[in-house]
Amino acid sequence: MTEGNGPVQFAAVRLDAAGPSHPLTHLLPALPAVIPILVLLLGLDVFCLVNLVRARSVRNAPKLAWAIVIVFVSAPLGAILYLFFGMDRSGGSGGSGGGTKTQPSRPAASPTHADPVRRVVRPVGAAPLALTTTDLTRDYGGTGLFHVDLSVPRGSIYGLVGLNGAGKTTLLSIIAGTRHPDRGSVSLAVDRRRVAVCPDVPEFDGWLTAAEVVDLARSLVAPAGHGQAEVAAALRTVGLADAASRRVGGLSRGMLQRLGLACALVGDPRLLILDEPTSALDPAGRADMLGLVAAMRGTRTVIFSSHILADVQRVADQVGILRDGRLLYEGSTRDLMDTYLTPSWLLRLADGVDPVAAALAGQPWVTKVELAEPDVLKVEATSIAAGERGIPVVIAGCGARQVSCEPAAADLESAFLALTGAGDPAGLTEGARP
Amino acid sequence: MSLWRLEWLRLVRTPRALALAVVFLAIGLIEPVATRYASTLLSHASHGAVIRLPKPTPADALASYVSEAAIVGLIVLVVVAASALGFDSSPGLAAFFRTRVRSVWQLLAPRFAAYAVAGPLAYLLGTLAAWYETHLLIGALPVAGVFAGVLCGAVYLAFAVAVTALAASLARNTVASAGITLAILLALPLLADVRAISGWVPSALVGAPAELVAGAYQLPHYLPALGVAAVAGAVALALAARLLQTREI
Repeated sequence: MTEGNGPVQFAAVRLDAAGPSHPLTHLLPALPAVIPILVLLLGLDVFCLVNLVRARSVRNAPKLAWAIVIVFVSAPLGAILYLFFGMDRSGGSGGSGGGTKTQPSRPAASPTHADPVRRVVRPVGAAPLALTTTDLTRDYGGTGLFHVDLSVPRGSIYGLVGLNGAGKTTLLSIIAGTRHPDRGSVSLAVDRRRVAVCPDVPEFDGWLTAAEVVDLARSLVAPAGHGQAEVAAALRTVGLADAASRRVGGLSRGMLQRLGLACALVGDPRLLILDEPTSALDPAGRADMLGLVAAMRGTRTVIFSSHILADVQRVADQVGILRDGRLLYEGSTRDLMDTYLTPSWLLRLADGVDPVAAALAGQPWVTKVELAEPDVLKVEATSIAAGERGIPVVIAGCGARQVSCEPAAADLESAFLALTGAGDPAGLTEGARP
Repeated sequence: MSLWRLEWLRLVRTPRALALAVVFLAIGLIEPVATRYASTLLSHASHGAVIRLPKPTPADALASYVSEAAIVGLIVLVVVAASALGFDSSPGLAAFFRTRVRSVWQLLAPRFAAYAVAGPLAYLLGTLAAWYETHLLIGALPVAGVFAGVLCGAVYLAFAVAVTALAASLARNTVASAGITLAILLALPLLADVRAISGWVPSALVGAPAELVAGAYQLPHYLPALGVAAVAGAVALALAARLLQTREI
């Protein structure tokens, strides 16, 4: 160091020679050097405090706590802590994004020509297969997937049902290509790039807007020529048109599921894989989502898993039932119920049910009689023919007055229980109950 | 919206770019001041005891910046890079990207490039700040030495980001990826103890900026380390891509 280094240096040397004094006194001559430091540290603190005041919400701690951290924790550490762990990146600090979680608008009732969901319906009966799996096996040490041969007709809505741990997600992941089978193969009759996947909990970078997320998906998979019109149409289709400019971090889980579907639709997929697509939706949202899925019949092949059998029954024309990693049944939903349901009728009588119940219980073709309501008997028979022939005879024999006799509602839940023998279908029937 | 624009937005809409700039800038502004007034500050901190240190040189001030930047700045860079390169850390996000790209390179390239550029830029910013403070308080620095040092530091930081990519292919968790990266980078100086390879280890680049401005060496002295860092970085990236391509989500 020499005295030729400038006036600041010279002044500092003189002060050094003056003996001990307050440290700030020694720093005063170095103000030109210190000012940038102060500007940086104070600027960062002010930036963080302004952001904190404007933010509608912050993460991990209350606003007051973050204010204390920013001001009192050694600069710039407090401010940096706030930037990484406190700042809300969901667009909650004003602007069009807003910070409150609102409900999505209803999906577009009648898609325009640019709408990714086309409502052209074609017969499925003789359709070629969009997907087949052969001897698909993935063993996780006794659990997993074993020897699954799946055949999914092109243009069909294929419902995949099973108890928790049955292997649904593993099967869908292998089909999607995100997991590998130990044995067996997947044959796709569609271009792999035209396969779209919606996980049950879609996740996106929270600092992107909904429109940007869909646009990103478009840029990655959409055919040439698809642009912003398709992005807007996809958002409109799933009922998120009003949330297009909102940050994803501020969307509810149900809205994220819709956004996941929009990302899938914008690529105009031929095969759409939906893992529990209605799990986070309220009843109205579920109805909307199922309507969207049903509208794809004939134009896209949809495989969707669900633990809500009422949803599967409502939209799926094909169903596959998994249990312990094995495919127990595959075929049409109608055939499943016809084959595996016990024939039963609900018999409403005018003058008491006891004599008729006793008479029915004595019939060899009756397997079960129970009181469904005070004046209604539920009768189960060994066959449809035996019941249809025998019930009128028994009623006549008792001299009872019959109000009505109708087949008991045939639902997928009953067929599933009959097929799998699942004594505790916990989680499978919640959607079917009122 | 391309994957390249996504990384740009990730830098500017999250605190990543701001944190990188602030940390390197703060180190660059503070270290020369601390170096210049070290004896004064220490004397006051020691309750009257007079502590006399050798008068600092401009090279001392830059060395102080480099040593802090190589620790604090490197940690910040590794953490922000690990959080971006760990695209398999959340299954939902991984499913979104992995089912839509043909090759994992599509994901890896922009994320690596973003931090291999942002890190060195922040380092350059910090160096310029340190240069300004050093010139004001202590003395002038040789221009050629400063920029040769920036080149060495930039290559080392890009190498560190490549190692982070490799770590992210070994671990899904961001903290684990950052930990693996820092362990590798901190282990490298141990190799430099072997005299035969000391000039070839990338960690030799860490101290290069200070040594270059002090005139201890010229840039050609560091060419082996620069070459090894570039090749090792490329190998780390290729290995990361290979591991990520086959990794399940």
